[in-house]
Amino acid sequence: MSSPSRVRSHLFAWLATMGAWLLIGCGEDEEIRSYTADNHYDGPVVTWKLPEQWGENPGMSGMMAGSFHVRTSHGPRGRIGVMPFREEVKTTQIVNMFARELGHPDYNMTTIQPLIKNKKLGNRKFEVIRLEDKQGEESPPRTALLAIYRQDRQTWMFPFIADRDLINSELNRFFSFLESTTLRAGKEPVRAVAPRIPRPSAGTAAHQPTWEVPEHWKQKPATQIRIGNYEVSNSEGKALDFSITSFPGTVGGLLANVNRWLEQVNISKTDEAGLSQYLSDRTIDEKPGKLVMAESDTQALYAAIIYHQGRSWFLKLMGDVSLAQTEKENFLGLVDSFCLGDH
Amino acid sequence: MAEKKTKKRSSLSERRKRFAWLVPFSDLRITLTLLSLSMILIFVATLEQVRVGIRGAQAEFFESMYGIWHYPIQFWGGEFLNPLPIPIPGGYLLGGLLILNLLAAFITRFQWTGKKMGIQLIHLGIIMLLIGQLATQAMQEESRMQIVKGESKNYLERFHGVELAFIDVTDPKTERVVALPESLLEEGGMHYAKELPFKVKVLEFGPNCEFNSHPPAQKRTGPASKVNRGVIQTASLEIRPKPEDFSSEGMNFGYVVFELLDGAESMGTWAAISHPAGNHWWAKINPKMGDLAFQPIRKNGRLWGATLRPEREYLPYSIELLGITNEFYQGTDIPFNFESEIILKMEEDETRRALVYMNTPLRHGGKTFYQYQMNKSEDYTVFQVVRNPSWLVPYLACVLVSIGLLWQFSFHLIRFLTKASKANLAST
Repeated sequence: MSSPSRVRSHLFAWLATMGAWLLIGCGEDEEIRSYTADNHYDGPVVTWKLPEQWGENPGMSGMMAGSFHVRTSHGPRGRIGVMPFREEVKTTQIVNMFARELGHPDYNMTTIQPLIKNKKLGNRKFEVIRLEDKQGEESPPRTALLAIYRQDRQTWMFPFIADRDLINSELNRFFSFLESTTLRAGKEPVRAVAPRIPRPSAGTAAHQPTWEVPEHWKQKPATQIRIGNYEVSNSEGKALDFSITSFPGTVGGLLANVNRWLEQVNISKTDEAGLSQYLSDRTIDEKPGKLVMAESDTQALYAAIIYHQGRSWFLKLMGDVSLAQTEKENFLGLVDSFCLGDH
Repeated sequence: MAEKKTKKRSSLSERRKRFAWLVPFSDLRITLTLLSLSMILIFVATLEQVRVGIRGAQAEFFESMYGIWHYPIQFWGGEFLNPLPIPIPGGYLLGGLLILNLLAAFITRFQWTGKKMGIQLIHLGIIMLLIGQLATQAMQEESRMQIVKGESKNYLERFHGVELAFIDVTDPKTERVVALPESLLEEGGMHYAKELPFKVKVLEFGPNCEFNSHPPAQKRTGPASKVNRGVIQTASLEIRPKPEDFSSEGMNFGYVVFELLDGAESMGTWAAISHPAGNHWWAKINPKMGDLAFQPIRKNGRLWGATLRPEREYLPYSIELLGITNEFYQGTDIPFNFESEIILKMEEDETRRALVYMNTPLRHGGKTFYQYQMNKSEDYTVFQVVRNPSWLVPYLACVLVSIGLLWQFSFHLIRFLTKASKANLAST
């Protein structure tokens, strides 16, 4: 039989072992590592210091290196962008892209000269061009202020699009922003493509909605009801109809509108509970909107709805289901580009 | 003679008195029990290897204090016994206890005499083997280095384990890297480093996931539903968590969802996915996903890139790949020779030209570079890089055991031969 001291000795030994094991088990916690290394990043470097009064647009597309707005008491206004181009781009090429949309004639190297103002910011020289809308009836007119900088055979473009008064009041901040930028060309080509100013609609209201439309969508004349009117077709003779309409009020409400459209594509009507299978939320022009996606065996209906300031806006694509599925991404791109023109 | 024996015994009893606390560990029954448990461990781990792969079985049963085993359902009575979790002592526990048991026996049971020296050396060799294996498991690091022909590399990437790296590339010559290791990502919560101009709040981390393009019209579910910035948002990706794949061919796409905060204000929520073969593969899979290697974040006039990548180790030297040779046995796909011609650019502007091929690794700075993979069409080579500071220990242990066996057998042989010759003499 074991003596008490021997039992104690055994107990102590085993406890000590377990303790030691426990200590070994509790290894040192890893920490955040910070170090410097040779810079192997070969993409373009574009950075800036944003003025406090400006905010960043989170839904920026991959083409833009940066997209901002001005914070005002009426909410976000204007659009400021940073666009790197992969190669040297002529000033006329850039300016004409905006000029056409603003009702200006195409510029050539001679006619553009009076518009170009050279602005030295720090050690860098920017070309600054101002274009005001000549076809709209807005007051103050929609204006594009374009700053262009060239370095290492690459071109950087900073468009500021807003109404004239906002541009004038933000001018100093815009120049400070340009001065704060760090611009370094990358070894790899950047993914930016030529910019497009949002196309104005055929409407004549003071605040005009704008949208970007795929090039292969055929524009049809606007009607009294249709602000936007397009046709999409393919070589097999299949076709889609796209329209942008706006009405005061809610036009009978969401359920009534969806049911009307469902009938048009041979889908039986639904009730409030069944509505969710066709609906999803989507932010359109920084406003809460709804997407309606419905497909029957032969027909499809994709629509976006915005209720804003007592009006309803409908963007509706309807027609052959297989073509609609092909054009879905283009439709969603158009929805994302849609701007009510109220800021 | 009797006096000598008494002296030896008194030396042993003196040691037993001095190290009395070690006596309970020296029991031979403990040795037998631990060896039996080791056999059970090997049996169970071998069975589990089918389920979780070699790396999984190794991590769960050998590199741990204990593992949980479920009796296989296919075995007799499996339907009743399978739900029972059976704890199995792990490799660290058994190995550690065996070392203790052997050391205790060495000190409190063995006689330190020339006659027994062989046995002592054998046991010492076995102790060294056990300690060496523990040290290897604790210290060995396996990484890879992938180099494209004509390029130099000065860092390694771990095969397992990722880090969330924020890289400031504003300075054209040097980049500043702030990396959160996997353990902190698993922990989650808020992390702050003085070099970072923002705080990082880790919302979700997983060792593996599936990802696919998601129809933009539908609401995203899962970890990506929280994301409102970066490539997961622009490429409209959905992430579905998956358990870690421990099999040898397993490809684990780790993912992390994190929010960046400027003070108390949120800058947005991003997600990142790590490609197991290196994040440069993303652009090759889909140009839209290329930014997973570098998601730009701009703050205070500086450009930071966020990426979840295999954990990196930077080296004070670099390796340049001059060329690769990829030969196969004629008319077969069986490799005959994989060979990489490299220049090792050492710390003090010294260079060394070398050929690395199968079974002929490059050794430098405590690391061994083995030829691992090669792609002739894309002109790159991959080295498996192993750092094992205790690599010499098993060799020394084997030498000790061999000397011990030689000593012990020689001792008995000489004694036998002496006795035999004496007996022969007496009989004549």
